[in-house]
Amino acid sequence: MKTIAKTQIDSILKALAVPYNLYIPVAGAFTQTPGREGLENASQFRLYQEGLPLHWTTNTCLSPKDLLFPQTEEMYTIVSHGKTVEIQEKAIGHKPTILFGIRSCDIESIDCMDRVFLEKGFEDTYYKTRRPRTILFALSCTTHEDTCFCTSMGVNPQSSPSADVQISDLGDTFSFTAQTLGGEQALAYVDALLSEIIGTGPSGALKTQTPDTLKTPEELKEIALSNAADSTLSSAADSTLSSSSADSPLSSAADSTLNAAADNAGNKTSAASPLPTDPMIITVNSDGVSEKLENMFEHPLWDEINLPCLGCGACTYVCPTCYCFDINDKTLSHTTINKQRCWDSCMFSDYTRMAGGHNPRPSKKERVRNRFLDKLLYNRQRHGRLFCVGCGRCVAKCPVNLEIATVIQKIQAAEVTPS
Amino acid sequence: MKDTVIHATNTIAIRHEMRNIARNLLEIQAVDLILGWKKGILPNKSAPAFIHRPDQVDDLIFDEFCYHNLTKFLLGCPDRQDRIADNEDRLKTAIFVKGCDSRSLIGLIQDNQITRENVYIIGIDCPGLKEEHNTTILAKKCETCYTATPVEYDILIDSPDKRPENPNGLKGFQAHRDLAKIENMPPAERGAYWQQMFQSCIRCYACRNVCPVCSCKECCFDQTLPNWVGKGNNTSDNGFYHLVRAMHVAGRCVSCGECERSCPMHLPVMLLNSKLGLSIEELFDEPPASMNFDVTATLNHFKPEDPEEFM
Repeated sequence: MKTIAKTQIDSILKALAVPYNLYIPVAGAFTQTPGREGLENASQFRLYQEGLPLHWTTNTCLSPKDLLFPQTEEMYTIVSHGKTVEIQEKAIGHKPTILFGIRSCDIESIDCMDRVFLEKGFEDTYYKTRRPRTILFALSCTTHEDTCFCTSMGVNPQSSPSADVQISDLGDTFSFTAQTLGGEQALAYVDALLSEIIGTGPSGALKTQTPDTLKTPEELKEIALSNAADSTLSSAADSTLSSSSADSPLSSAADSTLNAAADNAGNKTSAASPLPTDPMIITVNSDGVSEKLENMFEHPLWDEINLPCLGCGACTYVCPTCYCFDINDKTLSHTTINKQRCWDSCMFSDYTRMAGGHNPRPSKKERVRNRFLDKLLYNRQRHGRLFCVGCGRCVAKCPVNLEIATVIQKIQAAEVTPS
Repeated sequence: MKDTVIHATNTIAIRHEMRNIARNLLEIQAVDLILGWKKGILPNKSAPAFIHRPDQVDDLIFDEFCYHNLTKFLLGCPDRQDRIADNEDRLKTAIFVKGCDSRSLIGLIQDNQITRENVYIIGIDCPGLKEEHNTTILAKKCETCYTATPVEYDILIDSPDKRPENPNGLKGFQAHRDLAKIENMPPAERGAYWQQMFQSCIRCYACRNVCPVCSCKECCFDQTLPNWVGKGNNTSDNGFYHLVRAMHVAGRCVSCGECERSCPMHLPVMLLNSKLGLSIEELFDEPPASMNFDVTATLNHFKPEDPEEFM
C-alpha cells in the first residue's frame, strides 16, 4: 500500500507530467467573479501545469471523454496543387497520457466508448490510437453531488476494477494501488515519492466496496491498513461483496441491481445499493427498463416528456457516453481545407436532416425519444449494456431539468398495453 | 389589459392562487394548455410544467428556482403555428409570467410571433430568485431587476414579498456589476478574457435555444448552405457565434438572464448582451426593450432624430 500526504500531491503530479501527458481535474476559469465564489465550477480535465486550481471534491463538470474522443478532431488536410490534390494525414502524438483523478462513473463511460469504437467489427483509428496509451488513475469518491446516482446504475463510486491505478482518498492521504501493468509502470516513476503504509501486503488492492455505504476517509484508512496486513482479504473480496449485499436490509434492491449488472455482459463493476448513511438523493431502478422499452416506441409518454425540451445539445455534450459525430470541412484558404470530425448532438434539428431536406425525426418528440431509447435500449441491444453511468451531468446541466433519472422512473411507472 | 389583481401574502398563498386560477381556466374551458412551473428532481431544481387537465394543476408551484422563461414554449407548442394562423375556434394558452418574462412576451407579440388574444397571461409579483448552486445568494439576473411586477397581464397575483425596484430605474444594464470590471481591464487583459470565454464554450447552443427573443424558425447557425459558422470547436468560430448571437438579440434582450443560467460551462454570456444594451441606452434616449406595447424595440424602428454620428 503506497500513500502520499494530500499536501504533497503536487510532487506526484509534477513527476508524472514529465514522462506522460498528464491531465488533471481543474476548476473552471469563470468562478472568481466577486460575490459568486461559492458557485459551482465549470471544472474539466486539463493538461497539467503548475499552479492550476485542482478540483478534487467531486466529479468534473465536463467529462474527460474529450481526451479520447475530441470535440474537434483534425483528420486530414487536403491541399490542391493545380490539377493534383495532396492529402496530408494528421499525426496523433505518441506520448502516453494519464487521466489523473477520474471517477468510477467516467471509467465506466470509457468502457461504453470502448464498445462503440473498438468492439463492433470496425475499429476507429483515432480512438484506437489514443486508448491503449491512456493510463487511467481512478479516484474513489468519499462524497457525492446531489445530482449523482451512479449506485443506481451499478457503478461503485469507490472502486474501479478496470482502471490502471486506483487512488483512494484516506482523509489526509491518498493511497495508490496499481491494477494493471501500465499502472505499475506509471507508479514506478513516482515510487520514491510514495511512502509504504505499515503491514506491507503484496500490493493489497483496496477492497472497500461493501455495497451499503460510502466509506468515510477514516473508515477507508482502517480498511486499507487491515487489507495491507491481511492480503487474503483481497482475494476473497468478491464473495464478500455478494454475501454482504444479500445480508443488507436493502438486499432485494441490491440483488436486483446485481442481477442487472450481471445481465449486462462484461459490466465489470461491482453493484452497490443506495447508501443509507450518506444516501444519494436520486435513486432509480433501471432493472428491466430495456425490456420494457421494447414495446414503448409509440407510447404516449414521449408526447409528454418532450414538451420542455429546448433542443439544445447540453445533455449530449456533457454526457460521458454520447459518441455521435459529424464530418465537416474547414476552409483554410482557396487551396486548402481541413477535414474535421466534430461532436454532433441528436437533439439538434439538423442532425437527421437529409440533403434533400427530409427529416425522419422532424420534431423534438422523435429526437427526445431517440436519445433515451439510445441510452436505455438500442445500446443495450447493440453493445450489451445501458449507456447511462449515473454521473448526473444531465441532471445538473439540462436547462429545463429533463434528465434521464426521471425519465427512467417514468418509463418504469408507465402502463404498457401489449401490442 | 391589467384586469384583475389577487392578493397573496406569501409563497404558499401564491401557489394556492396559481392552482385555483389554473383549475378554473381549464374547467371553464377558457384555455387548453397552461404553462407554469413544477418541482424538479432536486430541491434546487424546478422545471417547466405543461398542464392540460384540471387534475394536473396540483403540480404547479412557484419558488426561488422558477427561472424558466416560459414564453419560449409559446413558440414551440405543438400546433402553435396553426393556432396563430386560425385563431378563431381555438382555445387559448395560459402562461405564468414573472416580470422579466412578461417583457419578452410583449417582445414576441410586437414581433408578430404570438397573438395577444391567444394568450391568457397570469402575472406573479416576483420576490427575486436564488442561485441554483448557492441557494443563499440572490440570482444574478435579479440584482438589476426593475420589473418585479409584470408589465402586462390578464390577472396578477400580487405579493408583499416582491423585490423592491432597482434604484437605478430603467437604466438596468448600467448596473451590471461585471461589465464595469471588464471595461476597466487593459486591452490585452480584456482580449484574453474574451478569448478564454470563447475557448471554454462547448457550442451546445443552450444560450440560443433558451432565449425568448431568439424566435427565428431556422437559425442561421443551423444552416449548412451557406455554412455561416464552422462546426468545429475553436476560439474563432465560437467567438463568431457569441458575437453574432449577441448582435441578433441586441435591443430586444429583456435581461431575463436565461442564457447565462443555462450555460453548462457557466460562461458569463450576459456580459455581451449587457454591453450592447448599455451602448443602445447611451445612443438612443428610449426605454429598455418591451416595457410596453407602445414602443417597439429600439433597433426595430427609425426616427429622424436618431444619432447618426457615423454618417
